[in-house]
Amino acid sequence: MKTNECMKVLAKHRGDAVVVCALGMAANEWWAVTRSEDSFYMHGGMGFAASFALGLALSIPRTPVWVLNSDGSLCMNTGCLITEAGQQPKNLKHFVVDNQCYQTVETMPIVNQGGADYTAIARGAGIGQAITVDDLADLDRLMPEIVAAQGPYFVRLRVEAEPDYQRAPPANYEGPEMKYRFGRALEKKLGIRVFGPRGF
Amino acid sequence: MDVNDKIHAQLVKAGVRLAASLPDDWVNTLIRRISKDNQIHHVPVCREAETIAICAGAFFGGVRSVAIFGNTGLLTCTGEMATLCLRHAIPVFCIVSGRGSIDDHKVYQEVQGRRTIPLLQAYDYPFRIIDRQEEIEDIPNAYEWHRLQKRPFVLFLTKKLLGTAA
Repeated sequence: MKTNECMKVLAKHRGDAVVVCALGMAANEWWAVTRSEDSFYMHGGMGFAASFALGLALSIPRTPVWVLNSDGSLCMNTGCLITEAGQQPKNLKHFVVDNQCYQTVETMPIVNQGGADYTAIARGAGIGQAITVDDLADLDRLMPEIVAAQGPYFVRLRVEAEPDYQRAPPANYEGPEMKYRFGRALEKKLGIRVFGPRGF
Repeated sequence: MDVNDKIHAQLVKAGVRLAASLPDDWVNTLIRRISKDNQIHHVPVCREAETIAICAGAFFGGVRSVAIFGNTGLLTCTGEMATLCLRHAIPVFCIVSGRGSIDDHKVYQEVQGRRTIPLLQAYDYPFRIIDRQEEIEDIPNAYEWHRLQKRPFVLFLTKKLLGTAA
């Protein structure tokens, strides 16, 4: 399955979930499919989108939080799975878009290409629900169950590498604007206060 | 009320409700104090940079948070502090042991003692060193101040303040 198709299926089942995207292709595709401002598109901190999502999930425990992680980011910080398992956040779903390459840097091969089982690593870290999906129809069929289940839930999305793919452009705003658009979107959506009365 | 009770009380007063931490000899008692009750939710992590991202995420959930670790850990996560927090102007409040000071004779802390402050200055991360118990009461002010700085802030705790034998 292709990443863009995957994102369309995820978007269809998203419901009220707030989404955190690791930097890279999956984030660009999520933006292309959803144009959603209640999603955070990380522009740095590679490896730490899952940690960011955990902090967010623990802070808004009644709201579903998804992280759209990537294989490169997960490899950079596999310890995030142990930290996540330690907290057992009921509202967190952890998707990893796994194309076995660094898509945004000339599709260079991922470390130990084809040799690491991220789903087994997640299970070994203490995340009891951890599955691999490599077929679009299966993903569509499984998503209601994944959405309804209590977290943490780890889903490895095994997608094709797309070496000739014309990459989707990233969101058309960035940096501090990302902070304010996302924060204001959550204030509106959840009725919480992210910023103080003077805006900081 | 000992020094760690006082720090805990001031964090609560500042509205902190989540702490992410990795142990260091000097801040372990504070971490244990935070874990002791439910006023501040404790998140133990595998490496220090996780605390930065967890606190950044908590910021968007409207929850005030603090990252606690040792000076060595601070050196390991300055990159994430830059590419995540400076990039997106996200404040993160860090409490860090001021290792490598003149009264810290652990050889493996020596570089941290010499190079941490110049490194923070290079990134323009504000910091404050507190080594007297009276200064603990400044924590709520420091917390408000770091939010308007919109970047990581480091509060160093000294050996003299903590009275640690380590």
